[in-house]
Amino acid sequence: MAKKQSFFTSLSAGRLVVIGVPYFWFLLLAAIPLLIVLKISLSEMESTSISHMIDWSHGWPRLTLNFGSYQFLATDSLYFKTYLSSIKYAAITTLLCLVIGYPFAYYMARSPKHMQPTLLMLIMLPFWTSFLLRIYAWKTLLVSNGVINNILISLHVIDTPIEMMNNSFSLLLGMVYSYLPFMILPLYANLSKMDMRYLEAAADLGTSPFKAFWLITVPLSKAGIIAGSMLVFIPAVGEYVIPELLGGSSTLMIGRVLWDEFFSNNDWPMASAVAVVMILLILVPMGVYNKAQAEQMEGK
Amino acid sequence: MATAPKEANKAAQEILLRVENVTKVYDGTVKAVDDVSLTVMKGEIFALLGGSGCGKSTLLRMMAGFETPTKGKIFLANQDITNLPPFQRPINMMFQSYALFPHLSVWENVAFGLKRDGMPKDEIAERVEKMLSLAQLNQYAKRKPHQLSGGQQQRVALVRSLAKRPQLLLLDEPLGALDKKLRESTQLELVNIIEEVGVTCVLVTHDQEEAMTMASRIAVMSEGYFLQVGEPDTVYEMPNSRKVADFIGNVNIFEGKIEEDEPDHVTVRCPECVHYVGHGVSGHSGMDVGVALRPEKIMLSKDKPNSEYNWCAGEVIEIVYFGAHTTYHLKLDSGKVIKAQELNNTRDLSCGLTWGDRAYASWSDLAMVVLTQ
Repeated sequence: MAKKQSFFTSLSAGRLVVIGVPYFWFLLLAAIPLLIVLKISLSEMESTSISHMIDWSHGWPRLTLNFGSYQFLATDSLYFKTYLSSIKYAAITTLLCLVIGYPFAYYMARSPKHMQPTLLMLIMLPFWTSFLLRIYAWKTLLVSNGVINNILISLHVIDTPIEMMNNSFSLLLGMVYSYLPFMILPLYANLSKMDMRYLEAAADLGTSPFKAFWLITVPLSKAGIIAGSMLVFIPAVGEYVIPELLGGSSTLMIGRVLWDEFFSNNDWPMASAVAVVMILLILVPMGVYNKAQAEQMEGK
Repeated sequence: MATAPKEANKAAQEILLRVENVTKVYDGTVKAVDDVSLTVMKGEIFALLGGSGCGKSTLLRMMAGFETPTKGKIFLANQDITNLPPFQRPINMMFQSYALFPHLSVWENVAFGLKRDGMPKDEIAERVEKMLSLAQLNQYAKRKPHQLSGGQQQRVALVRSLAKRPQLLLLDEPLGALDKKLRESTQLELVNIIEEVGVTCVLVTHDQEEAMTMASRIAVMSEGYFLQVGEPDTVYEMPNSRKVADFIGNVNIFEGKIEEDEPDHVTVRCPECVHYVGHGVSGHSGMDVGVALRPEKIMLSKDKPNSEYNWCAGEVIEIVYFGAHTTYHLKLDSGKVIKAQELNNTRDLSCGLTWGDRAYASWSDLAMVVLTQ
């Protein structure tokens, strides 16, 4: 403990400012809003301000917590189904992004050094157009009288339009399309740093290039795979815009339930409870995983 | 290690590796290796010695199969392996800074090559245990490479490359990543393990001491070709050129002209002195030559030697004490500085010379080498 104290007391004002800015940012824009959401989820429908929850009539503050929203969440199977379905879509998206993104990242990392900035630019290029516009663009491509169906019909490949919109296909297409760069970038960062001597050593010990990829490259890029998967999976679970625009009514995603609770039902405590459970669903496995990773790094 | 060359000679009947006129050109113009030929006998430890950029690593990488020669062929046991990919060659390499797989344990690292060969599990286990005990690493089998010291990593790398019992073992700067103290003990350990297994080795190093102690033959390389190939003592005592003499150990080189050229002796007149060399030289009188003289072959004294040849005089300008010996820097009257090494075989500083003293350096008529190149 003594060591820690001396660390903090030895901080100069300049250092405190540098460390303080991100902490302040985090506190103001993440921690406090989260606490407010948590608080709202524990209040009753009518009393969403903090003063209503604290009763001063006995001379000391008394906090009234209302777990009604959580009880309802647990009893209505719709929520459970939606969480499950969100996780399912997010997991499939992550997997598809990994399968498609890995060759991309691998190719980029193994390209000549002078080509790499250009390739990286190409990955970033879609970000220059609004995310919303790009999703709408997919809509015009996929609908029954959209570009793809029209071309296929005029070429006499098909007679009747293929149903590509408002189902899990269009949802997954939109999600994979949107989140692919977030998989490629950390994978590329990881793969481009890889020491090629490991592959030479593997070849020297009798490993064909194909096997060396699975035995050396993939395990050594584990950190990149995990980082990319986290970056895709976490926002994908709570995704709202893509299921709203491309998913149709048949695809259940928790983001849309959240929206409905907030803005259609105006049930803020319920909506907040849904959000809190969603955060826990993502945070708990992440925390457990991180702890396991840290232990693995320390010990033998 | 002085006995190593002779032992190797006895066994050196069979040619294992033959490199024929191999040239490697990068980017169409840069000649990394220039028309090199060499043969390595079975059981030999062969060293490629040279400074950085001399082409020694490129040559080694062509033997391993990581580079393809632009011209020329490489044969292993009479089989042309020039275009064989590395994973099909019965050659293993110990990499510079080891390239141990960081995600695998010591045991798995050593077993890696064996598993690729589809060896039965119990045989793999047996072989790995044997290899680990050879390197005294059994208790570290479960550790990851980053949990080992530099010396331990080096031994893992060695036994990993030995596990498949390769016909030829390539060592790329095997001791380069270790500090000096560890190098010395590891050098002998490495040679002992290699000799116990009885594998033929080609070793790349920039460290002439490493090459001398480990190898049975040395090829001194510069700018892509071999300057001289020979046993360590030959290369040291009979360098064939100024470059080799200068690269291997310390040397004083006197420039001069051959005066007398007789079958049993020659004299070389230099600005500093006249050298009387007690053997014939392939040259002619009037020829410009260099006379190479190693510092340890020079005797220093305060008294003028009683001879007309093989001595010179100068002022002591530097004394470097090494413990076992002392090196004196002598500034000759011509302005040339030579180094002379005196053994400290008694505990008082024997020849009693100090800074600013006038000293006489002398040597025997068989101490020097006449260099025509």
